[in-house]
Amino acid sequence: MKELICIVCPNSCVLSVDEKTKAVSGNKCSRGEKFALEEISHPMRSLTSTVATVFADCPVISVKTDGEIPKEKILAVMQKLKTIIVEKRLKIGDIVVSNIADTNINVVATKNI
Amino acid sequence: MSKLKKITRKIKRKYPKIEVSEKDGCVRLCGELNNWDDIVAAGQMAVNQDFIGVLNDIKLKDFVEPKIKQSIINDKKYDGRNLDVLVIGGGVVGCAILRELTRYDLKVALVEKESDVACGASGRNDGAIHVGIDLHGKSKKLAYLMRANPLYEKLSEELDFKFIRTGQYIAFSSWKFLIGYLLLKSRAKHNGIHGMKFISGKKLKELSPNINPKTKFAFYYPSGGSVCPYGMTIAYADNAVSNGGEIWLDTCVTDMNVKDGKIVSVKTNRGEVYPKVVINAAGVYADKIAEMANDRFYTIHPRRGTNSILDKASVERYGNLSISMYGNAKKNAKLHTKGGGVVYTVDGNLLIGPDAVETPNREEIFTTADSINTVLNRQQDILPKLNGSDIITYFTGVRASTYEEDFVIQMGRKTENFVHAAGIQSPGLSAAPVIAQDVADLAVKYLQNSSPVTENQNFNPKRKGVTELRSLSLNKRDELIKKNPDYGEIVCRCEEISKGEIIDALNLPLKVDTVDGIKRRVRAGMGRCQGGFCQPRVLKIISELRNKEYCKIAKKGDGKIILGKTKGEE
Amino acid sequence: MRKERFDIAVIGGGPAGLAAASTATAKGAKVALIEREAILGGILKQCVHDGFGVIRYDQKLTGPEYAQKEIDNLNKYEVTKFLLTFVTKITKHSSDFVIQFVNRTGAGEIEAKKIILATGCRERTSKQIGIHGANPAGVLTAGTVQNYVNLQGLMPTRKCVILGSGDIGLIMARRLTLEGAKVVGVYEAKPTPGGLTRNVVQCLHDYDIPLHLSHTVTKVFGIDRLNAVEISEVDEKMKPIKGTEEIVECDSLILSVGLIPENEIAKQLAVPICPFTKGAVVDQTLMTLTDNVFSCGNALHVSDLADYVSESGETAGLYACKSQKTRNLVNVTKNKNLLYVVPQKINLDAPLSETVFYFRVMEEFENAKLTVFADDKPIFSKRYSHLRPPEMERLKLNISEYSDCHGISFDLEVGVL
Repeated sequence: MKELICIVCPNSCVLSVDEKTKAVSGNKCSRGEKFALEEISHPMRSLTSTVATVFADCPVISVKTDGEIPKEKILAVMQKLKTIIVEKRLKIGDIVVSNIADTNINVVATKNI
Repeated sequence: MSKLKKITRKIKRKYPKIEVSEKDGCVRLCGELNNWDDIVAAGQMAVNQDFIGVLNDIKLKDFVEPKIKQSIINDKKYDGRNLDVLVIGGGVVGCAILRELTRYDLKVALVEKESDVACGASGRNDGAIHVGIDLHGKSKKLAYLMRANPLYEKLSEELDFKFIRTGQYIAFSSWKFLIGYLLLKSRAKHNGIHGMKFISGKKLKELSPNINPKTKFAFYYPSGGSVCPYGMTIAYADNAVSNGGEIWLDTCVTDMNVKDGKIVSVKTNRGEVYPKVVINAAGVYADKIAEMANDRFYTIHPRRGTNSILDKASVERYGNLSISMYGNAKKNAKLHTKGGGVVYTVDGNLLIGPDAVETPNREEIFTTADSINTVLNRQQDILPKLNGSDIITYFTGVRASTYEEDFVIQMGRKTENFVHAAGIQSPGLSAAPVIAQDVADLAVKYLQNSSPVTENQNFNPKRKGVTELRSLSLNKRDELIKKNPDYGEIVCRCEEISKGEIIDALNLPLKVDTVDGIKRRVRAGMGRCQGGFCQPRVLKIISELRNKEYCKIAKKGDGKIILGKTKGEE
Repeated sequence: MRKERFDIAVIGGGPAGLAAASTATAKGAKVALIEREAILGGILKQCVHDGFGVIRYDQKLTGPEYAQKEIDNLNKYEVTKFLLTFVTKITKHSSDFVIQFVNRTGAGEIEAKKIILATGCRERTSKQIGIHGANPAGVLTAGTVQNYVNLQGLMPTRKCVILGSGDIGLIMARRLTLEGAKVVGVYEAKPTPGGLTRNVVQCLHDYDIPLHLSHTVTKVFGIDRLNAVEISEVDEKMKPIKGTEEIVECDSLILSVGLIPENEIAKQLAVPICPFTKGAVVDQTLMTLTDNVFSCGNALHVSDLADYVSESGETAGLYACKSQKTRNLVNVTKNKNLLYVVPQKINLDAPLSETVFYFRVMEEFENAKLTVFADDKPIFSKRYSHLRPPEMERLKLNISEYSDCHGISFDLEVGVL
């Protein structure tokens, strides 16, 4: 039996998962059940950060992964983002890095420069 | 000899292990004690008018005196420089002396170990311009204060620093003190203090609605006032630099070369310099400097004091009086402090404090919860509703007290080209303009023995600080902004300070580029949010104007704010 | 000097002001929006993390994306924007407010019939919580650190201690760790965390950052730059326990110890301030006790969700357009288990059918039951299994039936099964 806290919404339900039967309890919605099963097998996270630019009026631009990535890849993604320098005036949603760290997830801009 | 025996007996009765001797006309104490307060008490017992001063060399058991705080810079920037006068110490007295010296055609420089002037006691006091009612008739403190006090209207206009003649109230909680009215009146007359007025309890309550209801009456002295102490120091420094004086920041005196009763050279972390005269305005380190110059006849026993500043809304609650409770003064007579009080500052805040705590640490500028509470409790005597939540900031400074508790303003006794401006504690700030005049005169007279000293024909006593736009009329403000749009871009929201004013501060004659330096000059960072919103913006302005990378800009001294970048390099 | 006249002046261009200005303009009012920064969006510009807009847009947006949506909404309308403009003084002249301001073009004035204060909040400072030391570099509030990291790309720390477990502290613990700093720990004086539980999980647990409850920082070491802090355990009254001191080496102390509504302009207008929220006292239309002055967003009371901030901006914008002839005010009272309820007054002559209430509890409660009374009559009740001070609650009630009552009261019972 594994206990964990759901992070999908502010309710922060306390969930219990039976690792053998995959039965989930304590969730107030179906998203919680999905989260619990994922969390015990391959935890996923969305990541937000910033990336350097060449623009003096905007030294860094805020970015996010446009989906969830495996939790254990967070470090690799951050290392990759450290090396990026944006040279175009991007818009929200523009891709900054595609398929970052082999996750099949893109990193996109969340700000208009 | 018998005089020394008397002192020795007195001291040995309480501290049998302490050795008492005479050295160069001074009483010298040696040995070791477990407690700092005992060392101070022994020193106080050694004070005697038949001796020049007290050399208290008693060590504190298991205490290693911290090394002097100085910049990490180590170079030869000033190596080999010849000077007429070197002033050691960039407090209000040192800077004022430098400015007075620039009235003459002399090569003068001031060394200050911190990254700005007024970083010691001069920037950490309550800014009160004192009346002198509590001072001893024969003291140098009183003599200098009485000469200086009337000068402030003219001086503050000339040098463009903030000053208000607030008057000083001393409140009494019992009618028995009224007996002292005649005594105080005669003391006032004797000390040269005019205009003392009796204020009824009723009138006092009108002026300060939340004053302690037990207050029976007060005395009002019109000559009391308030300055911005670091503003005044900076003003003197700017004027000195404009008139040809040099100020070397981040420069600390490490040793001196004394030969045949004369200082030949002074060593610093930025080279060895060759002054004809050296002036000791080194605050808490004045006795160490005197020791280097082979001319020590006093000992500094540091005494720290903490002040708290209340938010501006407190003025509505408590009134705008500079006031203290008489009972406090009596309680603290032994501690050589007035017990502090409430000061109405030039910036429209109320300030409470200071307390007084003897300490072996010369640079103990750490605040403590105890000190804040001591000050709060004491001032609740006069304003019972005072609350910790009224406090927006606090700071600690260290007084440079000698055992004689008076100024030391004189030529060296053994070293002929050395001038002392030492033992400066309250009313040191108030007295600084006149101390500076006398000390500069001493230095010039000494130099005149060897060669004529001419007046600086280009000396301009006037100095313009940074214009504060928020207090101007809408039209005047509009006019200035149209000429310089930077004046319309507000950077510090709490104090309403514009980009233009910050740039003006960076362009003042004494150049600094620390965030605290800007804070002292235009108040950016001194308001409600204490720099939370404006610090990043101030940093940007400093970086652009000085063409310095962010990670090279400090809050103060060597304290950088930014340690690196998030992306790219490293 | 131009003295343009407006129906409504909105002071503040963050999410509250943006919503207020959009709503009012959509309803036909001539609106001036005054913002002290060069770009609209308020504090959201530096909140690069997501979680915004779950209620308002049914999406999990980052701060800048949420701000852009609000700005795009505003740009659908004709609003006179004053950017990089700072309000210096507001006074009342007969029926109009005169707003004095400065910006790079000069010092000027505009007139408006109504004011909406959307001035946000500021962070509690180190001095306000009694941090003692020599005032070295390295003591920063979390918002300032967020500005350096997320807007300037600068790192003010390599190894830090965070004091305060509110959401900002938790978010920054994760952010700094991702950018390569070592967060030694998050320390919290209270016995329970200050922020959302999911943030404790995804910001601290995910990164093995320890959370020390019932601890606080008592001293700061270092003169020019911080080099260590002293941590002490605290008792139930949050007073440090002597003998529990521990020195932690670090280069920064980052403070996340509370937000304070910014109401200097409200004070200038003598708007009465509620001692519990530190914001203006308002009725359900978000008009303060000073006629024609409205308040919304974090200036009114600090919210956890930007979505609620936008909602309050819309409410203020909506009602600022209406002509409210009379004010028949009754009190909204609360019992001791509630820290505050907003609005603190109900105007019985204004619309009552969709009255939104926000409230916070005094401490953590389980199995609570809220009953709302109109005079002595219970008109609504709801059970809550769990209520925490950091999690503000929202209620929408129809109280039009009780337009002749003498007061509304909120009664929270705890430990009710």
